[in-house]
Amino acid sequence: MSVKLKALTKSPWVFHLSTGSCNNCDIEVLDCLTPRFDIERFGMLLAGSIKHADVLLVTGSCNRQSMIRVKRLWEQIPKPCLVVAIGECALSRGMFIHSYNCPVPLDHVLPVDVYIPGCPPKPEAIIAGVVKLIEKVKAEKLGKKK
Amino acid sequence: MNRQEILDGIKNKFKEEIIDYFDKYEKRVFIEIKKEALIPVATYIFKDLKARFNIATGTDLRYHMEILYHFTLEDINLMVSVRVKLPKDQPLEIDSLTSSFRGSDWIEREIHEMLGINFIGHPNLKRLLLADDWPEDVHPLRCDYQEWDKKAVRDRGV
Repeated sequence: MSVKLKALTKSPWVFHLSTGSCNNCDIEVLDCLTPRFDIERFGMLLAGSIKHADVLLVTGSCNRQSMIRVKRLWEQIPKPCLVVAIGECALSRGMFIHSYNCPVPLDHVLPVDVYIPGCPPKPEAIIAGVVKLIEKVKAEKLGKKK
Repeated sequence: MNRQEILDGIKNKFKEEIIDYFDKYEKRVFIEIKKEALIPVATYIFKDLKARFNIATGTDLRYHMEILYHFTLEDINLMVSVRVKLPKDQPLEIDSLTSSFRGSDWIEREIHEMLGINFIGHPNLKRLLLADDWPEDVHPLRCDYQEWDKKAVRDRGV
């Protein structure tokens, strides 16, 4: 695996993107950053700009207006990058699956690496999901299948 | 003025225009009016009674479209909802209130795109919320809305 991906597992910078969520998942993501859960001990930081980010963290039900913006952000993020879908809406659109405004789920548009289910997922679940993602990337780096 | 004086004032001033009057409880009153009388009634409640215009809501019912204009009289803690019914066998159009107060601008645009009701005299009746590639004559909150997007995925893939 490339040097870039090795560096990424040390300290992944996260870009938090809401594609029309109800803000509940976003509150749980913010909760991960507070001293109680302190996701920074795994080197994770919120990046202000997509051009500084390694991980694209998506919440929300991916509506027609925001999917254009999601595609545009995906084009701008430096590769290699990882995509994390948080919450039932980002996974399968949840209760909005028959909504006129949510035609396709996120993983039909972007390659999603980790799905974290829940409405909203607990901060523990988010941390567990992201740590598993880092371990998976490290295992791929060493040539192991996990 | 207390609650009874204000409501009697509305009823006496618009005797001809009021079709139905429903005093639901002490904080809520529904007044159904003819659609031609919308501007005088709304202007009277907004400007003369100094009510706050909260929001308008549109609903697609079986035989008619219904628009409710919600006004709050904060001094006496009363919400007055002005109801207008638009029969579906006639052209779906009603006078715009935007010339009387700016607050109704965006909600009229939203009702226009969601239900397809034409607001006569609105200065800028263009799309507010729907996506740019949404077809022009499809209104998503109507009862007879059908899926138009052939690429839409409506299963969870499991």
